[in-house]
Amino acid sequence: MSTMLEVKGLVKRFGGLTASSNVTFAVDHREIFGIIGPNGAGKTTLFNVIAGHYRPTAGSILLEGRKISGNSSDQIGRQGVARTFQAVHLFHEESVAENLRRAAMISSCHNPVAYFSQRGEKVSAKVESVSQFLGVAHLLETKAGGLPYGHQKVLGIGMALMTSPRLLLMDEPVAGLNPSEKRAAGTLIRRLRDELGLTILLVEHDMPLVMSTCDRILVIKQGTPLTIGTPAHVQSDTSVIDAYLGEDYEFA
Amino acid sequence: MRKGLLAGLLVLIAAAPWIVKSGYVFHIATMIALTIPLALSINLTLKLDQLSLAQPAFMGIGAYTAALLTMRLGVSPSLAVLAGGLLAVVISAVFGPIFLRIKGVYFVLLTYAFGQIVNLVFQEWTSLFGGNNGLYGIPRFSIFSHSFGETEYYILGLAVAALFFFVMYAIERSDVGAIFQALNEDEMFCRSIGSNAQSWRVAAFIMSAFMAGIAGALYAFYIGFISPDSFGFGATIDLIVINVIGGPGSVFGPIIGTIVVVPLLEFLREMRQYQFLVYGFCLVFFIMFFRQGLVSIFERKREVV
Repeated sequence: MSTMLEVKGLVKRFGGLTASSNVTFAVDHREIFGIIGPNGAGKTTLFNVIAGHYRPTAGSILLEGRKISGNSSDQIGRQGVARTFQAVHLFHEESVAENLRRAAMISSCHNPVAYFSQRGEKVSAKVESVSQFLGVAHLLETKAGGLPYGHQKVLGIGMALMTSPRLLLMDEPVAGLNPSEKRAAGTLIRRLRDELGLTILLVEHDMPLVMSTCDRILVIKQGTPLTIGTPAHVQSDTSVIDAYLGEDYEFA
Repeated sequence: MRKGLLAGLLVLIAAAPWIVKSGYVFHIATMIALTIPLALSINLTLKLDQLSLAQPAFMGIGAYTAALLTMRLGVSPSLAVLAGGLLAVVISAVFGPIFLRIKGVYFVLLTYAFGQIVNLVFQEWTSLFGGNNGLYGIPRFSIFSHSFGETEYYILGLAVAALFFFVMYAIERSDVGAIFQALNEDEMFCRSIGSNAQSWRVAAFIMSAFMAGIAGALYAFYIGFISPDSFGFGATIDLIVINVIGGPGSVFGPIIGTIVVVPLLEFLREMRQYQFLVYGFCLVFFIMFFRQGLVSIFERKREVV
């Protein structure tokens, strides 16, 4: 398998605070790669640097061998990297179908010139297929603001899918969901990879989800990588257990 | 939105000068028509959550460009109006990308400073702009040496106001409106799916400058006299009050606001010192009790979910 995303010697400092120091890892095509760590470990910072919201202080990020670090977040977005947010952005007054259509429209009409040169692009087929994939086809005409929280999160994933990404960055996709919704989300994440061929980078606190979904996991503590490996490897690593999970922690 | 009622009312107001045959009404109606593009121009910047205080400066750029081109170079007024709009476009295209790197109150301050600097240039470069005495003797507007009378000029003003209104209406109703809304609500999300937020903001800023520049040029030909005073901070306040009273959320808001505020300004002309008192009360009242502005009268109440 070839490499989708490569992060090399990444450092991010905010003034005197080092949020990420010397982070190096590579994510293969069609891999589900998890990032875990205690609160304040710098997971979200790492995410934001990869997505281009912050510029790295040092180090580089490569997407399929091409350097993307230093690009702005919208440039990275146009190169096939999509992300989902903890707080889902929706057009609350609009229907599910319109939300999906708008995500594709905002993405393809990324500037005024593109807007006038790409009119009339048909996205209805895509709305159909994405909603079917997510199992929300029966909700297409429902107002997004009235959806239950679990469905809103699914719709957020759908909006990212409308941009046809290669790499999907997911920021705590199951935070705030109930246990059955969490299981459904875990299945959905695996289907994103198995059926759509996406590569997924996942930041998540929910250990059962991370351990059952991810192929490999990066553990960071205070911005520094502790270890990288399979769920089994991470769970047996004593330094991880001591530093992060706590002595009494039991994996579900 | 009770659009039928509103549209009928607007047509009636536009026709008022022919119903009430009075020169004064004609003048006020023309001033309303010439102010609408300005009110819309500041509304366009508000649509991107940025309050620009530079619009009267672009109006002045349009006005002085048009006046000087006709007076000094004998350019025909219709071309001069276009040139006025285009120079505003060029200048906004240079400064917009710089200003729009900054958001919120600092953008407001930057555009304020820009407006003041432009005004100072009008005041101090006396050989070109005539200083505080301004420029007078601007010829009447004409097309193919046909000089426009009051009625014709009013119709021209109405046509330009209507044109910009429909452009803004189309923006609001189209996907561009949806893009603006999304950029305001969650820029990070829009950028994550590839939207170049800055390019949209710059485009809107340039469009707003174009509207202001055209309005300024038309104003110059109508009044026949321009001075830096007409394009100063006071004019900015007028435009903000118009938007607050009319309602900044809808494209109809600035229209209604202009129809209310411009006559008010004319009536208060004799007692200029009370103008800001009235403004103050209006702003407090509308911001505290009537946030959506007068336009909300014509909007159907949202169903309670």
